[in-house]
Amino acid sequence: MRLGPGTPAGILAEMADGETNGVIEGGRAGAALAYLGEMSPDLRGAAILAEDGELLAASGRAERWREDAAALFGAADRAEDEPVEQIHIATEQGEVFALRHAGLAAVAVTDRFALASLLFFDMRSILRDLAAGGDGRAGE
Amino acid sequence: MAPKPHRVLFERVSGYADEAAAYVRRRRVSRQPFARLYYRGGRAADHAADSAVGGELFVAAGRLIEVAGKRER
Repeated sequence: MRLGPGTPAGILAEMADGETNGVIEGGRAGAALAYLGEMSPDLRGAAILAEDGELLAASGRAERWREDAAALFGAADRAEDEPVEQIHIATEQGEVFALRHAGLAAVAVTDRFALASLLFFDMRSILRDLAAGGDGRAGE
Repeated sequence: MAPKPHRVLFERVSGYADEAAAYVRRRRVSRQPFARLYYRGGRAADHAADSAVGGELFVAAGRLIEVAGKRER
């Protein structure tokens, strides 16, 4: 069965590189999220999601983060036949970054004019480390 | 004949002011709201806010910005 990209379970169903190394506990994901906050001074909030769309960690209202991240990836995947890898949306109120990597996904909200390439690099780095069994601090 | 010293200073200050104004203008133009999607292989696609996909993306982003709230300074 092919999961639709708009469904919670299908958000990450067609990720480029499914390298997740088993179950990721919320504690490790939370530590990774805290580390992302340390590295990114412009960060307002963020969330990390598992392959099945389950929320692993979020700064604040977990259910809202899960739903809104699913809506974002769903809208992005409907744009073309191919699943999206990165999303960057800049508005007057702030900027949204989303990334699928290593069988996981991360969504981050920042102030305006955040350094996109650096933030994507940091997000990719913590997802890679989480997937490999770490707590996101591999590059420290 | 060499220009008067104060003239050199004025020209330098006004040169810096022109540069700064051009920088601010470029930054304002280049940082209009946008929605950009990246695909495998580095390909990127922009979606205007008044397109169907762009509208959905901006709505979803707005909800995420709302849930993230303001940063504590």
